[in-house]
Amino acid sequence: MSGEARYEIHQTAYIKLVLHALKHRTAAVNGLLLGRASPDAAAVEIVDSVPLFHSQIGLLPPLEVALIMIEEYYGEKGLSIVGYFHANERYDDFELATVAKNIGDHITRYFPQAALLLLDNKKLEDLPKGKERSPVMQLYIKDGSSWKLGGSKGSNQLTVKETSANTVLLDYISSEKWKSITDFDDHLDDISKDWVNAQLFE
Amino acid sequence: MVSKTEEEQVNRLENQVENGGGGAWEYLCLVRKLKLRRADKVLKYGFSVLNDPSKRSALGPEEWTLYEQVAIAAMDCQRLDLAKEFIKVLQRKFPESKRVGRLEAMLLEAKGLWAEAEKAHSSLLEDNQFDQVIHKRRVAMAKAQGNLAVAIEWLNKYLEIFMADHDAWRELAEIYVSLQMYKQAAFCYEELILSQPTVPLYHLAYADVLYTLGGLENLHASKKYYAATIDLTGGKNIRALFGICLCTAAIGQLTKGRNKEDKESLELQSLSALALEKAYKQRSPAKLSLLSSTLRSLKVSL
Repeated sequence: MSGEARYEIHQTAYIKLVLHALKHRTAAVNGLLLGRASPDAAAVEIVDSVPLFHSQIGLLPPLEVALIMIEEYYGEKGLSIVGYFHANERYDDFELATVAKNIGDHITRYFPQAALLLLDNKKLEDLPKGKERSPVMQLYIKDGSSWKLGGSKGSNQLTVKETSANTVLLDYISSEKWKSITDFDDHLDDISKDWVNAQLFE
Repeated sequence: MVSKTEEEQVNRLENQVENGGGGAWEYLCLVRKLKLRRADKVLKYGFSVLNDPSKRSALGPEEWTLYEQVAIAAMDCQRLDLAKEFIKVLQRKFPESKRVGRLEAMLLEAKGLWAEAEKAHSSLLEDNQFDQVIHKRRVAMAKAQGNLAVAIEWLNKYLEIFMADHDAWRELAEIYVSLQMYKQAAFCYEELILSQPTVPLYHLAYADVLYTLGGLENLHASKKYYAATIDLTGGKNIRALFGICLCTAAIGQLTKGRNKEDKESLELQSLSALALEKAYKQRSPAKLSLLSSTLRSLKVSL
C-alpha cells in the first residue's frame, strides 16, 4: 500500500450504520461497508452499508452466511466489501474490540485498504450541540499487523460525501427512524425482513 | 424469552399509548411481566401516571411497584434527578426496606460511584447472602466498568450457589463468546442443554460455538446439534438450516471428499437447502436467486 488512502462515505451508508447502533443501544452492533477503490488505490468510496448483527457478534456461522449473501448481492452492482463497522456495547468504551480486529483482518485479505470504522459515542452525543460536519466515527486502517487510527496528521482521512449528513441524521434520530432499520440478525429470525433496507429512506 | 405474539402485543399497546389511546398502566404491567427493557417509554408513561393524583391513587398498593419500575427506567435514561426523587418517595414509605436499599445502591452505580455502590452491596449481602438480585448487580457493575474478567468471576461464584439459573449460564456463555473464549462458552451451553434438553435455542447456540471452534470433530458435532435444532423446531429454524450447509461444506473442504459418511451427509445438506429454498420462495421471494447463488458458493448441489 502506498501512502494513505482517503475514505469517503455516502450519506445513506453512514446513516444506516448510526441508526443501527441507536436501535440496539444496549448491545454491541456491527455492519459491512460496500464500495470501490479508485484505480490508483488512493481513494476508497463507501457507497452503501449493511447492518449485520446485534447479538453474539463473536459467532462465525451467521457472519459467514452474511458475507456470502451480501457479496453476491453487491457484486452484481459492481461493489465489493471495502470495510467493517463496529459499535461497542458501553458508551464510554473507545477500544477497538478483538472481534472487530479479527473481522477486519479477514476483510483485508481480500481488500487490503479496508476501513474499520468505530462509532464515536462522544461525538454522537455532542451532535445536537454543535455544527460538527465530520462523521461520528473513528477510522482505523491496517498498518503491518496492527490497526492504527487514521488521520493522524490532523487531516480528515474519512469524510461524508454530503455535507448535510449530520443534519439529516439528527432529523432521523428525532423522528425515531432507527426503529425501522433491519439487520441481518433480524433477517435470519424472519427472512421476510430486508437487510438492504430498501424502504428505509422512501 | 419473549414470544412473537407477546412482542406484538407490547408493540400494539405501545402504539396505542403513544397515540393517546390510553392503556399506559396495562403497558407498564406487561413490560414488567415480560422483563423488557424499554426505559424511555416506561419513564414517559410511568411519569405521567405518577404525576396524575387520581390515576396514581387508583393503583392502590401497586403505586409503589410503579415508583420502583419508573425509578429504574429513569436511571437507565440517565435522568438521575428523577430517579432520586422516586427513590426518596419509596424511602419515606418504607424506611427499613432492603428492596429500597437495592435501589439506592443502584443509584450509586448509575452515578459511577463504584466503591460506594460496592460497599452498599456488601452490606446488603451481609443481611442476606442469598439475595440473587444483589449478586447480579455485582456482575452488572463489573460489566459496566468494562471489567469482564471480574464479571466472569462473580458469575461463576453466583452459579456455584444458584446452579439452576439458566439466564445466568446464558449470560456467562455470551460474555465468553464476546471474548472469543469459545471452549468456555461451549461448556456453558452443555450445562444448559443437560438441564433443559428441549430448548432449541441452546442446541443452536452450542452448534454455532462448535462451528466457530472449527476442526473436524467439532464440525461433526456442530452438525448434529443443528440437526437437533431443526428437529425441535419442526424444520423452521433458518439459522440451523444454513448451519447444516456450512458444516457440510467445511467438512468437505477438510476431508476433500474422503469422507465415509459422505452420502448420508450430502442428503442432509440437500434437504436443508430445499427447506431453505421453500422458505425463501414463500416469505422472501425477492431474495430467492440470492439464496441460490449463496448455496452454490457453498457447493450445495440440489
